[in-house]
Amino acid sequence: MAKINPDFAKEIFKYGNDDFNACYNCGNCTAVCSLTDEHNSFPRKMVRASVLGLDEKITASLDPWLCYYCGDCATTCPREANPGELMMSLRRWLTAKYDWTGLSGLLQKSLLFSLFAFIITAIGVIYYSASQNFNVEIIMHHGHLFEMLSIASVFTFIILPNLFRMWYFVIIKPGIKVKFMTYLKEFQDLLIHMFTQKRTLGCDDSQTRWFMHLILVFGYLALLFTTVVLDWFGTENLFIILLGYIESVVIFIITFIFVAGRIQKNKEVNKFSQPSDWFFVIWLFLLGFTAFIVRVFIDLDLIENNIWMYLFHLIVLVQWAVIIVPFGKWTHFLYRSFAMYFDKIKQVV
Amino acid sequence: MKNKIGVYVCMCGSNISDYVDVEKVKAEAEKIDGVHVAKTTMFACAGSTQQEIEDDIKELKLDAIVIASCSPKLHLDTFRNVAQRAGLNPYNYVQVNIREQGSWAHSDNPPLATEKAINLVKGGIERVKHSKELIPIKIPSINAVAVVGAGISGMRAALELAEMGTTVHLIEREHFVGGRTSQWNVLFTTNETGQEVVTRLYHQINSHPKITLYTGTEIIGKKGSVGEFNLTLKIKPRFIKPDCKHDIKNLEKAIEVCPIEVDDDFNFNITKRKAIYKNYDSEFPEIPAIDCEACNKCGECVKICDDIDLNQKPEEVNISVGAIQLSTGFNPYEPAKGEFGYDEIDNVITLQQFKRLIELNGGELKYNNKEIKNIAYIYCVGSRQVDGPNKYCSRYCCTSAIHTSILVKEKYSEINNFHFNRGIRTYGKQEKLYHEASEAGDIFLQSFEEAPPQVERIGNETIVKINDILTNNEELEVSVDLVVLITGMVPREYEGIVNTLKVPVGRDKFFNEIHPKLRPVETVIDGVLISGACQAPLNITESVKSSLAAASKANSLVSSGEIELEPTMAIVHNDRCTWCDKCTEACPYNAIFKIKHDSKEVAEVSKSLCKGCGMCLPVCPENAIDLIGYTDIEMESMIEALIN
Repeated sequence: MAKINPDFAKEIFKYGNDDFNACYNCGNCTAVCSLTDEHNSFPRKMVRASVLGLDEKITASLDPWLCYYCGDCATTCPREANPGELMMSLRRWLTAKYDWTGLSGLLQKSLLFSLFAFIITAIGVIYYSASQNFNVEIIMHHGHLFEMLSIASVFTFIILPNLFRMWYFVIIKPGIKVKFMTYLKEFQDLLIHMFTQKRTLGCDDSQTRWFMHLILVFGYLALLFTTVVLDWFGTENLFIILLGYIESVVIFIITFIFVAGRIQKNKEVNKFSQPSDWFFVIWLFLLGFTAFIVRVFIDLDLIENNIWMYLFHLIVLVQWAVIIVPFGKWTHFLYRSFAMYFDKIKQVV
Repeated sequence: MKNKIGVYVCMCGSNISDYVDVEKVKAEAEKIDGVHVAKTTMFACAGSTQQEIEDDIKELKLDAIVIASCSPKLHLDTFRNVAQRAGLNPYNYVQVNIREQGSWAHSDNPPLATEKAINLVKGGIERVKHSKELIPIKIPSINAVAVVGAGISGMRAALELAEMGTTVHLIEREHFVGGRTSQWNVLFTTNETGQEVVTRLYHQINSHPKITLYTGTEIIGKKGSVGEFNLTLKIKPRFIKPDCKHDIKNLEKAIEVCPIEVDDDFNFNITKRKAIYKNYDSEFPEIPAIDCEACNKCGECVKICDDIDLNQKPEEVNISVGAIQLSTGFNPYEPAKGEFGYDEIDNVITLQQFKRLIELNGGELKYNNKEIKNIAYIYCVGSRQVDGPNKYCSRYCCTSAIHTSILVKEKYSEINNFHFNRGIRTYGKQEKLYHEASEAGDIFLQSFEEAPPQVERIGNETIVKINDILTNNEELEVSVDLVVLITGMVPREYEGIVNTLKVPVGRDKFFNEIHPKLRPVETVIDGVLISGACQAPLNITESVKSSLAAASKANSLVSSGEIELEPTMAIVHNDRCTWCDKCTEACPYNAIFKIKHDSKEVAEVSKSLCKGCGMCLPVCPENAIDLIGYTDIEMESMIEALIN
């Protein structure tokens, strides 16, 4: 017996869509969706669960992650209830729900709090740099160390526990019995989806969107590797230097297109942007762009006298690493692929 | 005897010809004496075929026609008109039904269907041979109409009739006008209140010289028939002097001192009122009335107000009208004890009570001193009953419930509305409201008729449970502060009128029209028209539409001073009649009277009352009654042809 909770809808409003109450359950959205199938019927079911406030049902569901937002449901909805944006809002809500610290929800719901967090981190970086007398060498060295440290700690203390929570909500709590071997057997699915996002191709809208996203993911992962492991800013190796240039260019060009798309609202997927969406694409753009300029400054021997350039990059990097990666939209990279993995496991069981 | 008969056998597309061999029917018909021409047609009712038949009648000088097609209920008038246009008397036409009684009924056996069709056609031909030229009867009529019920539909009809020049007697059973409409506050789509609408109509009616309004009045007797009904009205005393100066202040004081309190049915019994009362300030007629059933004549009010006269007696008035329009309206369905907790759980009320509650409530929305935040609306209570008598949909309730839920949310923003429905039917423009309500966050849950929602009291909580078919039949529940039963419409109790006027009542107990599509405001009693929610559940717009239709119909009937009636009626052969009285008992229309004819007591049939139903014929031991258009010789020759 589930209890109806009309206040839940008001909570979801804070994550984006506030039109879904208009739904009259015609099911057009599910009918036109090219990703829905006999195992996972969406988005109407999720719209219904949101209207009724069946939050446990939504928490246990993978459906929001299985939607790749082509927007067909939103354009064909006779009530303009915008089911596509609701699925997006539920992804935001789930991201907050999985996060054990509660910071994700706070950051997503309150723009003020987000701005506060961004400003505090920026002040922190400047304060730290001042304490080092703005010594370029030391700061850049520490910046490199910070990259490694933050990856390790964010992964250990935030992302891993949150993935465990997701697993608990969708597999353990609903009482699905999974053999250990099944987890191993289906593990390849996780990797395939993580690195190909091939499910996007199931969406009717475009192959280009998938391709650009794929290049961006690889560009981002490669730049991460190049800067952290190959020490792009410190290296003299011409190949590595060129590789980093290419990667950063790929990132800022593609994110530039993405930002422009969101400004123009040229596609259904770009029509509704929450602060978390803006932060994600803009910071990724800044990350690529500032990294590119910093390396240019290094190659032109300008960095010694223009420490501000590196500081700018460092501020963006720190904000990215401590706000956006653990609590923001970055996590969809993992949640989406884990959702495919868990879904496969559920189907096998 | 007709001997130049035209026979037309219709295929009805393939509805008839798929099972009945129409060519064979035609061939058999041709062989019969007196048949001049026989043809088959694709659609006898098609314009071109009608023209062809007309031409045949004229060119071949046919003296009778038989059309073998569908039921005469559908096209009798169509083909009578064909005959008329061609200069043939319309009663020299017989329709034979070989579709409903032939092809459709016997689609499993085409040869026998054909045989039956042949016999039916033979019977029709024999009958038409003996048909006579009949001429409609004309009777005088009074250009006056009695409109019964001064609700919105009756008031609107009265105005319309008066504007067209007909004298109107507007008869209202209650002491005040406005009916149900005055009980509703804000109305969709105009946002006027019911009381405003009633006020406007009342002023127009009051100032119209052709309208006489009778309040507290019922029809207790009727004589005569269409053209001249003589009605006896009984007027209840209002106990206020007719020359009252409208000293409202004194009358208000009189209401204050009245010691008697009764349930206020204007507020659907959620409040009490005095024996001397007025339902709301701007109610019309302006002066209060005394409820003679509740009043014990203690005289307290008389001490304060000179205008009160407790010695008034009921009055009887006779009026003569050409037609009667009934707009007697509806009652809300009264749920049974325990139906969704009604009358058992204290916070279960009906939509009508809820609407009054909202209007009467000032600040916070409270019921039984408990603040209301969550409201469950349970739809289709008393309508669309699977096992109960009310199989019909009451039409207005979905819209009214949603409209009310929007109003209540506008007034109290913290309210949560839960609609437990069986499919929302906000047809037409009313759909806008449904959209508005769901956008505002109202939650709609749906179940099938066999698994209605359950209302339970658990401790202090009232819980409504449902297996929601929109959520994969999952069992959902919500705790609510108020359960509103969306009760549909049932007819008002009007035995008096039914008995006095002999208005036909349908299986659903609403007044019955002749034909729902073609003659929707007329009854089988000539000159008695029905309009508004006494006929079927209707909303205000629909009620007014039907009342205007009935008003036009009434006006067109009586305004020319003459009424044309069907010639099909019973006649008595005086030589054979011995006045045994059996026929008067059999007549459902009270159309037969005893008269003296050449010093002999015989029966006579009133031309204006007889409907030609034929009920009197078989009971006459002397075989003294004949039915024009269905005379013994016509029927007997038809039967003979059928059985040979």
